[in-house]
Amino acid sequence: MAILEVEKLEKAFGGTRVLGGVDFSLEKGEALAIIGSSGSGKTTLLRCLNFLEIPDGGVIRVGGETVFDAGDPATRSESEIRRRRLHFGLVFQNFNLFPQYTALKNVTLAVELLAREREDFKRRRSEIFTEIEERARAVLDSVGLSDKLASYPHELSGGQQQRVAIARALALSPDILCFDEPTSALDPELTGEVLRVIRSLADKRTTMVIVTHEMQFAREVSDKVIFIDGGVIVERGTPEEVFGSPKHDRTRRFLERYSGG
Amino acid sequence: MTCLIFIVTLVLAAPLGLVVAFGSMSKLRPLKWLTRTFVWVIRGTPLMLQVIVVFYGPSLLWDWSAMSREVAVIAAFVINYAAYFSEIYRSGIEGVPRGQYEAGQALGMTKGQIFFKITLLQVIKRIVPPMSNEIITLVKDTSIARTIAVREIIMEAFTFTTRGLIWPLFYSGLFFLLFNGILTILFGRIEKKLGYFRV
Ligand SMILES: Nc1ncnc2c1ncn2[C@@H]1O[C@H](COP(=O)(O)OP(=O)(O)O)[C@@H](O)[C@H]1O
Ligand SMILES: [Mg+2]
Repeated sequence: MAILEVEKLEKAFGGTRVLGGVDFSLEKGEALAIIGSSGSGKTTLLRCLNFLEIPDGGVIRVGGETVFDAGDPATRSESEIRRRRLHFGLVFQNFNLFPQYTALKNVTLAVELLAREREDFKRRRSEIFTEIEERARAVLDSVGLSDKLASYPHELSGGQQQRVAIARALALSPDILCFDEPTSALDPELTGEVLRVIRSLADKRTTMVIVTHEMQFAREVSDKVIFIDGGVIVERGTPEEVFGSPKHDRTRRFLERYSGG
Repeated sequence: MTCLIFIVTLVLAAPLGLVVAFGSMSKLRPLKWLTRTFVWVIRGTPLMLQVIVVFYGPSLLWDWSAMSREVAVIAAFVINYAAYFSEIYRSGIEGVPRGQYEAGQALGMTKGQIFFKITLLQVIKRIVPPMSNEIITLVKDTSIARTIAVREIIMEAFTFTTRGLIWPLFYSGLFFLLFNGILTILFGRIEKKLGYFRV
């Protein structure tokens, strides 16, 4: 069964249709690459999955459970939405690390706050915090930052900041990890380290939705590709199908423009 | 009297300013425009005029003059500084990038957690320098109290000049310098304490 099913997702901003009924599904352990030109609705799609925008229409299911249904007001309440956000992780284009916290604290903060809601929290407080910190250290180690635990965001390069942001999202063990152009804000020489981390996640069969302009990377790392234009999916398939033999003119024209990079 | 005006204004205007700031950022349009007009009027007119209006206004309008000079001065100061503080708070709060809230949301934090754990310290860091300026201005503005004959320090000192003594006036200047010197050091410390991160 698919871990993620999205049906007829719609979103408009003040009368302008940005997503016009998007459907796709994703199996556990798969990586989905979303490509498309600027303004085509890719960010909006990821923001809808993370409930930073509330879709106007459509259904989102995670592991068979309906986490959002535009027709069912119960799934749109504030407290429900917060809990359901945890199915998804989001890595932003410009990192959005918390400047007043160290790399380690950036990773542990949300997990610690969430742990307070556990019923055994009062009894096992210090144990729980130790566990959280150990896990955060392990995650930061896995993105190659074990020597930067005590650094503040402004002391880190863009590539390092983005890797902290990836670790921060991973620490909550989301079912699906979303990336919104994770290397677009980086100097070219820093994209490699971030792409390597995402690649290693793909190797570990992390379920991911990756919006990217790095076509070569998308081709190598993904199991499925979606080309989106004007808020609708124009073409979908395996990387070989979409990049190797695109069926639609629009896809071909888009890929030609990006064939350099 | 100078110290009293200063302390009471600070203690009352600082929280009141926060209320005004939230009003001016409200999603309720009428409330927002009402608050913004209030802030605009207060910031657009001299404090001296406001002191006079608060003291004489009620008696002229309603034949009601129960207010003492001291209360009138403090009321005018509190209103004036609440307006100024509110603008500082507002720019501090609005200066926190959307992405900070969104990162917190995406990590499953509640609104309260986002406010206390993420944005609050960033707002404080942003507002400390302008607040420090404003509070130093407040120290000097206390001298405006004499407009309605409240015996603040310069007025006290001035009474001596009529007896040919200039030194009291000089000392009052020294008092302001010292007072503001201490405040400058204090705010410098706070800024330094918050210097470990950048916003
Ligand atoms: N909050 C918003 N309010 C109004 N329009 C928006 C908003 N967010 C995005 N849009 C519009 O939606 C369209 C798609 O934006 P976006 O999802 O960011 O595209 P992409 O990420 O593919 O570049 C753009 O035309 C953009 O201007
Ligand atoms: Mg985008």
